[in-house]
Amino acid sequence: MHEPNPHNSRQSQFPDLDRRSFLKTGLGGALFLGTVSVTAGLSGCATRPAGRLSAVGTRMDASYQFRFLNRDDITLFEALLPAMIGPGLPEQPQARNIAIAGTIERIDAGILNFGPANQKELRRLFDLLNFGLTRVTIARVWSNWPNVTTTEADAFLERWRTSSIGLFNNGYIALTKVSNVAFYGHRDFWHLSGYPGPPKQAVDALPQFNNA
Amino acid sequence: MSLTDRIAQGLESGWKVTDGASLTGNLTTEADVVVVGTGAGGGTTAEILARNGLSVILVEEGRLYYQKDFKMDELTSYANLYQEGMSRVTRDGAIAILQGRCVGGSTTVNWTSSFRTPEATLNYWADQFGLDDLRPAAMAPWFNGREERHNVALWQVDPNVNNDILRQGCEKLGYSWKIIPRNVKGCWNLGYCGVGCPTNAKQGALMTTIPGALDNNARLFHSLRADKLVMNQDRIDHLQATAFASDGITPTGVTVTLKARHFVVAASAIGSPGLLLRSDIPDPHQRIGKRSFIHPVNASVAQMPQRVDPFYGAPQSIYSDEFNFRNGVDGPVGYKLEVPPLHPGMSSGVIPGHGETQINNMTGLPHMQSVIALLRDGFHPESPGGTVSLRDDGSPVLDYPVTDYLWTGLREAFHTMVEIQFAAGAEKVRLMHLDSNWYHTLADAKAAINRLPMEPHRVRLFTAHQMGGCGMGINPENSVVNSFGEHHHVSNLSVHDASVFPTSIGANPQLSVYALSARNSSRLANKLVN
Repeated sequence: MHEPNPHNSRQSQFPDLDRRSFLKTGLGGALFLGTVSVTAGLSGCATRPAGRLSAVGTRMDASYQFRFLNRDDITLFEALLPAMIGPGLPEQPQARNIAIAGTIERIDAGILNFGPANQKELRRLFDLLNFGLTRVTIARVWSNWPNVTTTEADAFLERWRTSSIGLFNNGYIALTKVSNVAFYGHRDFWHLSGYPGPPKQAVDALPQFNNA
Repeated sequence: MSLTDRIAQGLESGWKVTDGASLTGNLTTEADVVVVGTGAGGGTTAEILARNGLSVILVEEGRLYYQKDFKMDELTSYANLYQEGMSRVTRDGAIAILQGRCVGGSTTVNWTSSFRTPEATLNYWADQFGLDDLRPAAMAPWFNGREERHNVALWQVDPNVNNDILRQGCEKLGYSWKIIPRNVKGCWNLGYCGVGCPTNAKQGALMTTIPGALDNNARLFHSLRADKLVMNQDRIDHLQATAFASDGITPTGVTVTLKARHFVVAASAIGSPGLLLRSDIPDPHQRIGKRSFIHPVNASVAQMPQRVDPFYGAPQSIYSDEFNFRNGVDGPVGYKLEVPPLHPGMSSGVIPGHGETQINNMTGLPHMQSVIALLRDGFHPESPGGTVSLRDDGSPVLDYPVTDYLWTGLREAFHTMVEIQFAAGAEKVRLMHLDSNWYHTLADAKAAINRLPMEPHRVRLFTAHQMGGCGMGINPENSVVNSFGEHHHVSNLSVHDASVFPTSIGANPQLSVYALSARNSSRLANKLVN
């Protein structure tokens, strides 16, 4: 996502601003997202990390402590992952919930290591998607995320992928990258990509794998 | 084959290694030289200075990870060993930046390719930046010495299929190809160089110069970030640093003050300009952070009829320089062709896509092959590079505008990559581009390459080689340091890393950094000892 940059050469585009070039501009985009972050905070959205969530209410493993994603973000990913991973998710409901919950936990854990600058960008992105007004006007998703169907979620991702606005492409990449890596990179789902895992003879021979 | 771990042994034998996370109170200490960074440049510097009897303190913001931690797992390695948990990007988000953040720096996670600086590059530097003392003949002994130190040799084992397809495609099309020299000793040919070598075969800084320095009484602080070099009059008096908790990211509030006669900055082409900018180092011509180069990388993947298993085997063993200097050193941009390893996490993050399309992409992984092109940026007026500046919180960020000159090269590189893949028998190819489909014929792929927009975000771009930002030169008006890495304005400050390169290298840069740091550290040692 864009950071405000007073030295951005694209500033010269400002005299002939239309809505699209405004959004294309790093400065404009960042100001806009900044406004959303503030507004979302004021309007009482859940802006603090979700902390420990009840396994029953959220289908999350109660032992995992969320440190970046808040409740709204979790709801967002619960709505997006069925479109993001699609047929890669198990069909059996409980296995499916476990796969989704585990992937969201790994997304949270991964983002923790992103550091403050990228965390700030992701916070802006998630707030934009979670805040009703911008969800409708920018993402063009009409329902609250818990009510968004997989088809609608897929249509949203497709809009951002094919958009001619770089900021939306960037949002698409951010969402898919954290989700795909957290999903396909985890050993439970290696079989989907035909990856057998680290060579067994090496694992057997190397001291770091031998706890005995 | 010995599995005795060099780091575990050293720690047991009483190396002076301090985990910043373990510090409970502020600390002030002192040495002859403080070296910021433990990668190719910092490690080399510390070992040479320490062997010359100088007391050395090494400072590393990342943590000390070694064999016990290297379990061939992508997710933990990306989180722990890479800058910003592998999420580092340019300011506009359009270019993904792969860079190490751990003891050993990027040499702990690189793919072991060890090239000398191309002669054309060294001669260009001499002609354009007055660096006559770095001509190929003058540098040869330093490359020899470092090749020996890091066990660099042509890879003797057959390339894996992923690399062999690059060889076959080049062979069919009459393009030159060569075997890559690698810095390994007793390599098991597993394919996990990028997540920390599990067998200690990789002879990066972690297995060579860092132990060498520590054996000679150097002191290493890790999990400690260099915040600011503090000047007193016209010299640097001390380095101010802050510790991170054991998660590697949360500041503990503990401050460490390091005093020294001389300071060597080797914190990478993003970190070094960042530190100098934070420190308000004299910069009358505003050169710090300018002319940053990245070898912009684009990529194509192919589906092959045979199994490729691109996750196994030495990740890089074949390259082609057919297009690297074809237009002369300073004509239309040249590019080096190489191959990346493809593990499931990395692949799913690099191939843009979601849903059914993405799972279909991923299902093909065992038959997937990829070629990458590394553009040689910085040798043409229309490739002035990027700029490192500071965010509000003081962290460095790279702006890298992709110029039309580079877009032309990227489009050409796409053409070359798919030609090679089809020549080697690919069933279909897909560009790393948001709008790309799979193309079953060369004609379709080439038509798409001509049609697809060459724009930021839509073309997926990467960099694993960050260079410049504290460029060398004889003229202080267009450079930050001289050919010995000595700062033009501050007498007790040197820069010993890839940030001193006045252009990109035109090859994977680790051996260039090793050799130049060795040369400049030998000179520095002489000066400080006498």
